[in-house]
Amino acid sequence: MKNIVWLASYPKSGNTWFRMFLANYQKDTENPVSLEEIESTSISSNAVDFEEQIGLNPFELFPDEVDLYRPDLYYIQSKEAEKKGGISYKKTHDAYTLNRKGEPLFPANISKGVVYFVRNPLDVCVSYANHSAKKIEKTLDFILDENSSLAGKKGGQLRQILMSWKSHVQSWKNQSVIPIHFVRYEDMLQEPVETFGEIVRFLGFECNEERLRRAIINSDFKNLQRMEQEQGFREKMQLCEQFFWKGKIGNFREYLSEEQVQRIVEYNYDTMKEFGYIDTDGRLTV
Amino acid sequence: MDDILKAVAIYIMMYEMNNFSVFSDVIDIKYEKKEIGVPAFSIYSRPHFKINEDDFFLDIKNIARYRVQNGQQVSICPYEDADEESVNLFLEGSVLGALLHQRGIIPFHGSSFSYKDRGIIICGHSGAGKSSVTAAFCQEGATFINDDITPVTVAGSKTTILPVKTRIKLWDDALQKLKIEAGNLQRIRPGMDKFYLPMEKKTDSEHNLSHIFILSTHNKNEYRATEPEGMGKYNALRKQIYRRIYLKGMPETEKKYFGKMFLLANKVKVTYILRPQICDIQETMRFIGNEIES
Repeated sequence: MKNIVWLASYPKSGNTWFRMFLANYQKDTENPVSLEEIESTSISSNAVDFEEQIGLNPFELFPDEVDLYRPDLYYIQSKEAEKKGGISYKKTHDAYTLNRKGEPLFPANISKGVVYFVRNPLDVCVSYANHSAKKIEKTLDFILDENSSLAGKKGGQLRQILMSWKSHVQSWKNQSVIPIHFVRYEDMLQEPVETFGEIVRFLGFECNEERLRRAIINSDFKNLQRMEQEQGFREKMQLCEQFFWKGKIGNFREYLSEEQVQRIVEYNYDTMKEFGYIDTDGRLTV
Repeated sequence: MDDILKAVAIYIMMYEMNNFSVFSDVIDIKYEKKEIGVPAFSIYSRPHFKINEDDFFLDIKNIARYRVQNGQQVSICPYEDADEESVNLFLEGSVLGALLHQRGIIPFHGSSFSYKDRGIIICGHSGAGKSSVTAAFCQEGATFINDDITPVTVAGSKTTILPVKTRIKLWDDALQKLKIEAGNLQRIRPGMDKFYLPMEKKTDSEHNLSHIFILSTHNKNEYRATEPEGMGKYNALRKQIYRRIYLKGMPETEKKYFGKMFLLANKVKVTYILRPQICDIQETMRFIGNEIES
C-alpha cells in the first residue's frame, strides 16, 4: 500500500519546521502542539527502528550492508501504518540512492509521495555549521563533497548518503517513480499561506484556510524557538546551542566570506539557478 | 573461508557454549557446506528470516545462513568468501538470541556483571554504552558475567542471570578511554574498529539478578535517573528483550514470557538512566554505581 510520505531534504532546510506545521495542521488545536508531537514523523535513518524491526545490530554491519535491509524496514513500517489505517510521514536526509542489490532505499510501491524541501545552499552552509557545531569551512567542504554522508559509525543514526547539495536535490528530482512536490524554504517563510496550502493539497488533505493559518501561526519560527528554550528539543545535538537558530533568509551574508560564497555558487550554479537562487543575469537573488 | 578454519570456528563455538551450564545438555552445532534448508512453515517471516515456535532460519547476505531447531541444533552454512569472524559474530548474537528464545530463557539486550554481590544488567539499544560501562565496572572490581546478551531465568521467587559470554565487544575509542591497548585484540569483523576484550572469568556460576538499568542518551549535560512503576515497569522490561521481533513467530513462547516478566517486574529494581550524548565512561559508571547503592 502506498502510505508513506517522505519529507526529504538536505539538513537545515525546513524539514523539522514543516513537521511541526503538519503536527499542528493534523491536530488542529487552538494552542501550538509541543515539540514532542513530531516524534511520530521520526527519521527514516532511526537505528533503533532498524534493530527492532530487522533484528540485526546496524553497527555490526557495514553501512552498505545495512542498506540491503532498508527497503524491507520501510515495507514493515508501511504495513504498520496500514494496520493503523493512516499515512506515515518519514523525515529523511538521504539522497535518493540504490543499494548494492540495485534496489531504491525508498520503495515506490509503498511511497505515496515526497515533499522535498530546498533551501539556498549558502544559508544551508551557515545553519548546518551552527547545528553540527563545526567550523564554516569544514561544512562548506562537506556540502560540496560528492562523497558526503552522515552518521552510521558507532551509534546514533544509520549512515545516510547525502552527496553534495546539488546532487542531493538532483537525486530526488531525477527519480520518476514517486510523485514529488518541491518546496523552497524561502517561500515557506515569505508566502506561507500559498506555500503550505500547496503542500497540504499535494498531501491530499482538505485545505481549510482558517485551519491552515492557525497551523502556520502555531508553528511560527518564533514559537518554535520559545518552546525549545522552555522545554528543550530532543533532535538538537549536545554541542549545538539552539536547533531553531535564526530561520532567516540571506543569513549567509553575516558569516560567509566572498570567496566562500563564490565556491558554493560556482559548484552549484545550475541547480541554484533552477530553484531561483540565481537570476537569469547570473546574480544572487537573496 | 577455508574449510579447516570453519571447522575450528565451529569447534570453538561448541566449546564456548558447552562450557556454560545453560547449554549443559550439549548443543549440536553443525557446519553444512551446501544447504541447511528452511522451516517447513513460518509464523513470522521477512526476506532474511523465517520463524516458527521451534524452527528459526536467518540469512545474512554474504556471511552465512543459520538455522536453529528445537533449542538444540544449530546449523551454519557460510557463504563462499565469508570470513570466520563475521560468521561467528552473528552466531554469538542473533542466532544465540533465537536459541535462548527456543529454550524459553529470556534473553535481555544488555551486558551484566556482579557488583558488591548484586547481579546487575545494563540494558539499552546498540550504541547506548552498555559494554563500555560494564567494562568500566569490571576495571573497578566487578565480576563480568555477559556482554550484549544476558539470559535470565525466573523460577518461583528466584531470578537468575546465566553466564554465556567470555568477552566484551568494544569500539576503539571506548578502549582508549578505558586505557586498554587495542594492539593485540581481535577485531569482531575484518575492517571494523570494534574489538573483543577477553574477560577474566572468575566464575561461571549463576548470579541473582537484583537491578536492571536501561541506559540511553539525551542532548543535555546532566545525568538523570528515574524509576518506572506499575505497568510502566513491566513495559520497560518487555522492551529490553533481545530480538523481540522473533517473538512474532513464537506466540507460545511470548505467552510464557508474559508471566515471567510480571514476576521479574515485582522482584527486581528497574532504573532508567539518561546520560549526555558526549560524556565520560567513568562518570557514567560512578553515576550508576551510586544508584546501585542508593
